[in-house]
Amino acid sequence: MKQQKKNKAIQTIRAFLLDFALLSYILLIVYKLVWEKHILLLSEMPFEWTDLLTIFYLSLPITLIQFFIPGFSVGKVVYMAAIPRYKIYRIWIYSALILTIYTGFVISQFSAREFFSPSGLEGAGRIFRSLLNPDFSIFNEALFAAVETIYMAFMATVIAIPFAFVLSFAAAKNLMNGTPALRFTYHFLRAILNFSRSIEPLIWAVIFSVWVGIGPFAGMLALMLHSIASLAKLYSEQIEGISEGPIEAIRSTGASYIYVLWYGVVQQVLLPYLSFTIYRWDINLRMATVIGLVGGGGIGTMLMQYQGLAKWRQVGLIVLVIAAIVWLMDYASAKIRENIK
Amino acid sequence: MVTVSHLCKTYPGGVQALKNISFEIHKGEFVVIVGLSGSGKSTLLRCINRLHDPTSGSISIDGREITGLKRKELRLMRSGIGMIFQHFNLIPRHSLLTNVLIGKLAYTPVWKGLTMRFTQEETEEALNNIRIVGLEGKETQRVDKLSGGQQQRVAIARALMQKPSLLLADEPVASLDPATSHSVMKYLEKVNKEMGVTIICNLHFLSLVRRYATRVIALKNGEIVFTGRPDEIDEYWFKTIYGEEAIDVTID
Repeated sequence: MKQQKKNKAIQTIRAFLLDFALLSYILLIVYKLVWEKHILLLSEMPFEWTDLLTIFYLSLPITLIQFFIPGFSVGKVVYMAAIPRYKIYRIWIYSALILTIYTGFVISQFSAREFFSPSGLEGAGRIFRSLLNPDFSIFNEALFAAVETIYMAFMATVIAIPFAFVLSFAAAKNLMNGTPALRFTYHFLRAILNFSRSIEPLIWAVIFSVWVGIGPFAGMLALMLHSIASLAKLYSEQIEGISEGPIEAIRSTGASYIYVLWYGVVQQVLLPYLSFTIYRWDINLRMATVIGLVGGGGIGTMLMQYQGLAKWRQVGLIVLVIAAIVWLMDYASAKIRENIK
Repeated sequence: MVTVSHLCKTYPGGVQALKNISFEIHKGEFVVIVGLSGSGKSTLLRCINRLHDPTSGSISIDGREITGLKRKELRLMRSGIGMIFQHFNLIPRHSLLTNVLIGKLAYTPVWKGLTMRFTQEETEEALNNIRIVGLEGKETQRVDKLSGGQQQRVAIARALMQKPSLLLADEPVASLDPATSHSVMKYLEKVNKEMGVTIICNLHFLSLVRRYATRVIALKNGEIVFTGRPDEIDEYWFKTIYGEEAIDVTID
């Protein structure tokens, strides 16, 4: 009984806070974009943290009032399972949605005038014409750079495999729940993997190009690091999804733990692993071209050099080569994955 | 041969799967354990080869207490007990022969076992066991291409590789159709009668129990409610084991 009362109090506070946040958000946009921009016609709307305070002072009484009028509170519907007769609370949700879309237009400086301006169209047209008329005299150079990119992606994948393979066992929940020490290792490893995955390879490439110098090696290291984290996660999820049956069967024969892992676990995940790995190579190839742009070597670096010199016909050829290798790799990886089942 | 006394098993969640179970099984018997789903049949079987650890009580096999066994001794004990499962639990994408040889892993050093290098004798033995379960000629086929009944026979052959004196069968025919069920049960009977392997088997259908068991143990809510010959299970006992609502379904 006491527990229920306590629960109800917590849910009420949550409901109120949700209402408060929602109303503050609506008021903030109305104040900054509608009031200051369209009514006061200020050309600049500098944001001050004190603005937020003003908004809070305004929204607190409004939240309080609407909270006690039936049908207005969104929070009560979400947290207290209230089903009001008149669903007036929807006006808050709709206004927040519409205001958010409006804010999006303002912030991204959406402008049809700029898009259709004659000088802009002229410039874009010039580039498009050059791109569609690629310069084949640098074809060999582009091809060699593309080969560099392909091998860079390949090496990043290959070197990542053993690391990811070993890590995946330690990052699989169903193998790591025996003792508190194992559980700690699992959570710790998961945290590290998630962290390194959340840093884009582009950032790693910048770091490594300072570390080992601009070139394919930096790009490879960046891709490898990201691949280890991604593959380890995919692999370990595969392990978490295996059936316990074969494991139990191998244990029941009296075989040692290494056999249980090899025949009970690994044999179930080997093909999905292979499939993931080839897919990863495919992804690495696309990423390798992008990474080249920040000094990771290969065809991306070449693209950036010609782009910097505004040599659009050469850029056109490079784009063509990139499209070709990406398409080829995509096709090959899909075919291979289809055939391993 | 197997003596279980005052066996209790409580799962970490607090579920009491087995409550004070005691029974004895003699050499050469074909004992069938019956009971509703959740009555503790599977848990009991898994306690006997320690896939599950009992909470209290004792289990002895051939006069040897097995509840305290550690690592190496435990594996040695398991290697003498075969086990087959409802879902066969074979290693998919591997050949029938490989799956049967897996029964020998307990006696194989790691560097040989991981690369599947078995001796001539062991391979001969595997081929012989495949013959016993009537699957000769299919040695190189992938097990996932076999029918359910054939897969269960592969599992029996795998268990035979262990040269078991005891075979545990956990619902061996529950995912098979009636005709195939009899075929698998007949192979178990053959293993029991001709090779003298003691069998403890969980079953659902009383018609199969009456046909194959030499003795029946009935579990209900983790307790033994009946032990005796299969023909002693009459209407009264049936209702006791399966509840008032139950109707005996025959399969043949």
